[in-house]
Amino acid sequence: MALRAAILRHVRLPLQTAPKLHHNQPHPCLASFRFMSSHDDHITKEQVTDRVLAVIRDYPKVDPSKVTPNVHFEKDLGLDSLDTVEIVMALEEEFKLEIPDKEAVRIDSCNLAIEYISNHPMAS
Amino acid sequence: MSLTSSAAHLARRAAQRERVRILYRRALKDTLNWAVHRHLFYGDAANLRERFEQHRHVEDLDTIDRMIEDGEATYNKWRHPDPYIVPWAPGGSKFTRNPTPPEGIEIVYNFGREDND
Repeated sequence: MALRAAILRHVRLPLQTAPKLHHNQPHPCLASFRFMSSHDDHITKEQVTDRVLAVIRDYPKVDPSKVTPNVHFEKDLGLDSLDTVEIVMALEEEFKLEIPDKEAVRIDSCNLAIEYISNHPMAS
Repeated sequence: MSLTSSAAHLARRAAQRERVRILYRRALKDTLNWAVHRHLFYGDAANLRERFEQHRHVEDLDTIDRMIEDGEATYNKWRHPDPYIVPWAPGGSKFTRNPTPPEGIEIVYNFGREDND
């Protein structure tokens, strides 16, 4: 058992890339339009911006007239760090994301949030 | 005790601020896990915020450290056994369910036709 493992660790099979058959000529009737797939569709940055601004405007402690895409939560809107945490959670719920704790703490302003969400592959 | 904030002091305060933020975030998510309905969640979230706001003006670093540790212990005690995790995230239901197939593999649509037909 140990001998087999030791041998397998040192033997390497040569890698063979499978020949690329149909990548250049699209199949006429079988071109893959995967409408229901959630891996291929990505939202546009405009939609992200609109939805993020809508979420921030709906937050009760925020004055809706001051919200622009470049606004900083603590400096421009006068919010607290705990309020920032709440806003980030609201954005997570809006876009069905799961942001890791370390990165969520770093989201401080509106354009950071928009950038992060539009670069996230699973934002929907 | 010197009143001038040295770099170490500021660094410690910044680290504490980050710990507090992470603790508040997790506690808020936990509150949502326990109180599934939104109208209950808003009340519980307001209470949680109240508890954080009470100790807002504490200045002594050691007291703050101790309070953060107490808060984290309380959080660990009250963690939900079945939290809601987004499906594609680790721990969710769709995580590693359908990995993308490796490159170069294709389905040949010959519907079972034999080669010598």
